[in-house]
Amino acid sequence: MKEVKVEVIGPDPPCSRCQAAKWAVEKAAEKLKQAGIMVNIEKANIMSKEVVQKYGVLVSPAIAINNTVKIMGRVPSPEEVEKLIMEAAK
Amino acid sequence: MEEKTKRAIRAGIILAFVIVVIGLLIYSRIQAYSLAPTSTPIELRGYPLWAIPLVYLYDYFSHGTICLLFAFTVAGLIYEFVPKEAITKYMGSSRAVGYALALGIAPFLTVCSCTMVPLFGGVLYAGAGIGPAITFLLMAPASNILAILLTGELISWELAGVRIIASVTVALVAGIVISKTPWGKAVEKEHKINNAASATAKVEIVKPPLDERLWAALKFGGYLAKQILPYFILGLVVVSYLEAFLPEEIIKTYLTGVGGVLLASVLGGPLYTPTLVEIVLGRGIWVREGVILSKGALLSWLMGQPYDFANAMAVSRIAKWKVVATYVIIAWAGSVTFGLLYGFLSGSL
Repeated sequence: MKEVKVEVIGPDPPCSRCQAAKWAVEKAAEKLKQAGIMVNIEKANIMSKEVVQKYGVLVSPAIAINNTVKIMGRVPSPEEVEKLIMEAAK
Repeated sequence: MEEKTKRAIRAGIILAFVIVVIGLLIYSRIQAYSLAPTSTPIELRGYPLWAIPLVYLYDYFSHGTICLLFAFTVAGLIYEFVPKEAITKYMGSSRAVGYALALGIAPFLTVCSCTMVPLFGGVLYAGAGIGPAITFLLMAPASNILAILLTGELISWELAGVRIIASVTVALVAGIVISKTPWGKAVEKEHKINNAASATAKVEIVKPPLDERLWAALKFGGYLAKQILPYFILGLVVVSYLEAFLPEEIIKTYLTGVGGVLLASVLGGPLYTPTLVEIVLGRGIWVREGVILSKGALLSWLMGQPYDFANAMAVSRIAKWKVVATYVIIAWAGSVTFGLLYGFLSGSL
């Protein structure tokens, strides 16, 4: 089983758009589980020093897959997240 | 191939919608058709108390729908198509670039307040320093595109222009002054991260196809509308009563002249008006039958917004209270100065 790490990066407390982004990732993760891909979802705080140190300045909501920020400042659809995770799992 | 044509058609439909919206606004311009409510106090007073807001809302939406539709569509489009990664990449690089980006891009990026405070933190940590971070924070609500579009449509484009110039100046001054204070420097030192962006992490933004981006832009415009319109409508209800019952004499006595500017600048801040309500309220107070009673006081009122409490609270979690106090004072002083100056120069104090 392949593992993919997905970070949903947003402010804490979360804004509604970040929650929408997280929901999309969760939806995608559910589907991918059946395809044999394990998705570890982590929530990262955009305001924390660790995140800024790692990625620089970001626009929320951002989604990083395996330590690469793929989506920034928008809410993707579950299908899009699914596709991106699949690519990362290859 | 088929997928491609499907996408092209979808993009075409959305683009057509956008063009129609823009066209409608231009058409209303050419027809010199007022986009703001036209009811007069005397007309409004003729209705029963409960009906006044309804009449006013009907009056507003029969005129203003095009304007709102345009504002939210354009805001969504600009937000989607502004190159965010370019901004975030350079925002932390140096002081001068930081200031330039804060002034030039903040208005387009941050129509949504929940992106603003995180960006403030990011800019501060990433090393551009507290100056650009503060400039960014003040600039974003003061002249975001939605606020400017609505100020222009509902009040006057002259005032909208002056509002931009005034907020650019105030934001820049506040940023520079705070970066020179000992407490500003202390915050900067505390938060600066050495050697940002490690080798393991990358930013490779994926761009979806055009039709999806256009659709996302409209969806974001809709999201903004959902966030803002309830407050906006509530504001209109208040304004309907203000227009009907607030006598012109009271405004002329207390809310014009030097005292009016001072009062307006003080009221504009702590009253915390969620985005855009300040425009409707300001119109309800100072604009009587199409005439602005005091341009100076109205400008001060509109500029009062950036030092609202909600923002200040969020920022004080990162920066020290001294920094917050300094920027509140500078923002207030700026709103008074520009209010007086504009009032004096335009002969409408």
